[in-house]
Amino acid sequence: MSSSSIGIKPTLGSRIFDVCNVVFMLAFMVVMLYPFVNLLAISLNDGVDAARGGIYLFPREFSLESYAFLMKNPKLFDGFVISILRVVVGTVTCVFMTGLLAYIVTIRNFSGRKFMRVLFLITMYFGGGLIPTYLLMVQLGLTNTFNVYWIPGLIQAYYMMLMASYMQGLPEALFESARIDGASELKIYIRVVIPISMPVFAAIAVFSSVGHWNSWFDVILYNSSGTWDTLQTYLRKLLLEVEALQQIQDAQAAYSKYRNISSSTLRAAVTMVVTLPIVVVYPFMQKYFVGGMTLGAVKG
Amino acid sequence: MNSEVVNIQAQPKSRFNHIKRTVYKERQLWLLSIPMIIWVFIFSYLPMYGIIIAFMKYIPGRNMFKSQWVGFQHFQTFFHSPDFWHILRNTLAISGLGIVFGFTAPIILALLLNELRLKVFKRVVQTISYLPHFISWVVVASILFAILGNEGFMNDMLMRLGIIDKPIAFLGEGKYFWGLLTATNVWKDVGWSTIIYLSAIAGVDSELYDAGKVDGLGRFGMVWHIILPSIRPTIAVLFILGIGGILNAGFEQQLLIGNSQTREYHEVIDTYAYKYGIQLGNYSYATAIGLLKSVISLVLVLGANRISKKALDTSIL
Repeated sequence: MSSSSIGIKPTLGSRIFDVCNVVFMLAFMVVMLYPFVNLLAISLNDGVDAARGGIYLFPREFSLESYAFLMKNPKLFDGFVISILRVVVGTVTCVFMTGLLAYIVTIRNFSGRKFMRVLFLITMYFGGGLIPTYLLMVQLGLTNTFNVYWIPGLIQAYYMMLMASYMQGLPEALFESARIDGASELKIYIRVVIPISMPVFAAIAVFSSVGHWNSWFDVILYNSSGTWDTLQTYLRKLLLEVEALQQIQDAQAAYSKYRNISSSTLRAAVTMVVTLPIVVVYPFMQKYFVGGMTLGAVKG
Repeated sequence: MNSEVVNIQAQPKSRFNHIKRTVYKERQLWLLSIPMIIWVFIFSYLPMYGIIIAFMKYIPGRNMFKSQWVGFQHFQTFFHSPDFWHILRNTLAISGLGIVFGFTAPIILALLLNELRLKVFKRVVQTISYLPHFISWVVVASILFAILGNEGFMNDMLMRLGIIDKPIAFLGEGKYFWGLLTATNVWKDVGWSTIIYLSAIAGVDSELYDAGKVDGLGRFGMVWHIILPSIRPTIAVLFILGIGGILNAGFEQQLLIGNSQTREYHEVIDTYAYKYGIQLGNYSYATAIGLLKSVISLVLVLGANRISKKALDTSIL
């Protein structure tokens, strides 16, 4: 609900503000989008030509050489699959468990409510830190396993807080009547809380999946063997290889093999490969975290 | 109908067996809580216990309990290290800039987005503004190298406009690092951070707008007297979190964007601890640094919460 949409008669100042606002938003969109457009153009350009610089919106000499070079690499596909697996497993488990905790700490007459809330909130501000956590993962045997991607992140205190604050706005009578009907707490959570809290669950799912998709440091920290390398780590390694390639570019072998690829085009292509899946998927996710984010549905 | 009948039957029961029924109800809740308590004990509280190696001379692979106690030696070493002051400076500068720009920008953007009359346009702007958030720091670093490199867009434009004669090494010089990182952080997350504010704005009761209209409020008045007070709890909560995280000046960013030339400006507490702990195997020293950081953060968030409770009547604890 915008204050402008309820029929206040627009004054001149109001009109001028509208124009400025729209102009600002247009400039803002350019700033947000341009880096991607620029990189897309570079990635589709011939490598040697791109090294001259000056590519803005469109490729100057069109070439798919960089992408062809990337696709030849089977490790790229492995990294992609592991990343997807991590996002799905990590998100589903995290949202379910964190939501359950949020529900528990919102039940008004639960005597352990404050205890549970504080127990988890403490973890938000006070943790063991990098080293003790790392040593624990080593001792638990979680390093170099897939489990290290989802088990340690099962419950997030910050998400719990966001979900709990949403659930606090829900009418208590809803749960109370379900309880009187004999439904178990877990059943109430699954059947009542999740459906009516869908906006916040979807939003947290997006938060969580983005976190999992973007994760880079925990992969290099806990998966030093490289067995479970995600797309991010793979691409980072490739970027470093590109740097190395640039340094040996004069060498005959490298020059003949990657003749039409320069470090800048390959880097741009890599960036596009990891960005494109997100661009494709996220307009679909958007309706969950923006469209449904009103409390109106609950009030009805 | 059915629920009414149940209610009538449940009423006397609740009077006589109230305590018994509560215990029964809570047995279920505790059953659900116990696995979570075990989980949080292992993954959050055990590492806290592991902090004691900060006061020891822990040698990897050896029994922790047989390690030699050294008291506050590691802390003293850190305070007296030649790196201490520039690490503290970098940490506070980067997160201070983050609070000034990164915290206020989304609020302003959310308010401006809310004022857009054309809902389709608003949705398009929002969609585009979220995009950078979905991008990992690995990719952002790659984008920065491309845009700010010698042949990149930025240098190319500045040279064509005649502002500079030769390319500026934006990424190779320490003095640009703070500004660069702040700008990048804002670019990446400003759109995303508006979601929470926009949802708070969407939750404002429409009757308040009607009341405001009756009182003759203009658009600016609506924002100032109705929207801002309504989203104040959201702002307060996020601000408390921001204060608590003031020593979190970023980590992946520094590792991915920083390089040996920018070390004097990009090294923050976390990257320093990582370097000494994981890379150099000095676990006790790095743990001591991490502990110091946690203690200060805790004090800060408790202080911020107290102030917020008094001034804004909003508490997160």
